[in-house]
Amino acid sequence: MNKNSKIPNPTQDDRLSNFADQALSGRVSQIEAELDDELVGLEQTVLRLQNAFPPITLDQIPVKQMQVRLNARIRRENQEKKEPFWKKWFEPQARLQIGMAFAAVALMVTLAVFSPSLTTAGSSTTGTALTPIKNSFVVIMLAGLILITIWIKRRK
Amino acid sequence: MSRPLGNPFSAFAATKYMENIFNSVIQETSDEVLIQQFKDGNKDAFNALYQRHLPSVYKRVRYVIPESDVEDVTQEIFIATLKSLSSFRGDSQFSTWLRTLTNHKVAEFYRKRARKQEPLLASFSEAKGRTDGLTAKMMEERMSIQSALQKLPENYREIILLRFAEDLQFNEIAELTDQNLEATKSLFRRAIAALREHLDETL
Repeated sequence: MNKNSKIPNPTQDDRLSNFADQALSGRVSQIEAELDDELVGLEQTVLRLQNAFPPITLDQIPVKQMQVRLNARIRRENQEKKEPFWKKWFEPQARLQIGMAFAAVALMVTLAVFSPSLTTAGSSTTGTALTPIKNSFVVIMLAGLILITIWIKRRK
Repeated sequence: MSRPLGNPFSAFAATKYMENIFNSVIQETSDEVLIQQFKDGNKDAFNALYQRHLPSVYKRVRYVIPESDVEDVTQEIFIATLKSLSSFRGDSQFSTWLRTLTNHKVAEFYRKRARKQEPLLASFSEAKGRTDGLTAKMMEERMSIQSALQKLPENYREIILLRFAEDLQFNEIAELTDQNLEATKSLFRRAIAALREHLDETL
C-alpha cells in the first residue's frame, strides 16, 4: 500500500468522506482540479465504485417474488427432511429402476443355476479352491452387477 | 351502507384491508419482538423480518458477489437465518448478527468457488446473459471491483460496504463500529487507498 495513505491526514480524511457523501447523493460526477494527486486518485476510486454500482431503489428488488421462491424452497427442504430415505425407492421412476435391477439379478441367478454349461451335475469333484465353474459364475455375477450399476447411473 | 354478502369484490377489499392492517402492525414491530414471535411459532414473523432486511442484505451481496449469483446467495443467507434464528440470543442487534451471517455466507461462496477452481471472472460470460441493461464494460468493471474488494482486509471492506452498499452515514458507521467519527473517516480513506492499489494491480 502507498506509504502516504497510512500517514494520518485529517484534512484528507474529511475531504474524501465529504466527497463520498456528495457522490453518493448524486451531487458530484466529476473530480474538480486538485493540487493533491493522492486525493485525486482516491476521489477517482470513489467515483469508480459509485459508477459501477449505481444505487438501486427498493422497487428494483423483487422482494415478493424472492419471498415466494424462498418459501417454496423452505417447504421443499422441510418435506425432504421429513421423508425417510427409503420412501424415494417407491417413487414411480425409482420403482421402475429397482424393479428392473431385481429382474436382472433374478435372470442372472436363474441362468447361473440352470445353465447346463455351468452346472456340475453328477460330478464328484471336491476341493476348497475355486473351480473353473465357480469362477465363471463369479465372473458372470460381477459382470452383471457392473452392467446394472452402469445402467442405473446412466438413468440418473 | 351494508355490503352485499358474497360480493367477491367486497371480500377482496376486506382481505386487502386486513392485509394492510397486518402490514402496518408488522412494520411498527421491532426486530426483537418479531424474533420472539418467531420463536413462539409465528412463521409470519420471519416473513416480516425477511421483507424488512432483504433490501440491505441484497444491496450488500450485490457489491461482493457476481451478478448471476446475487439472488442465490441472498436466499442462502435467509435460509441460514431461518435455521439459526432460534439460537439468536439478542446479545447484539439483529441487523449486526445478519451482517455477520452475510459475511460468512459470502466467504463460503468464494471458498466453494476456489474449490471448484472457478476464477471470479469466469462467471463474466454467464452473468452477461442474465443482466439486462448492464453493458459488458460495466460488468467487467464490477467484477474487477468485486475482486479487489475480496482482497481487502475485513475492516477495510466492511467500511466500504457500510458506506456504499448500505448507505450508512459516517456518524452511523462510527456508532455501529464503536469508534469516533475521525477514526471512522480515517479508516475510510485508508480503505479507499487500499482498494485503489488493488484496482491498479489488475490494470
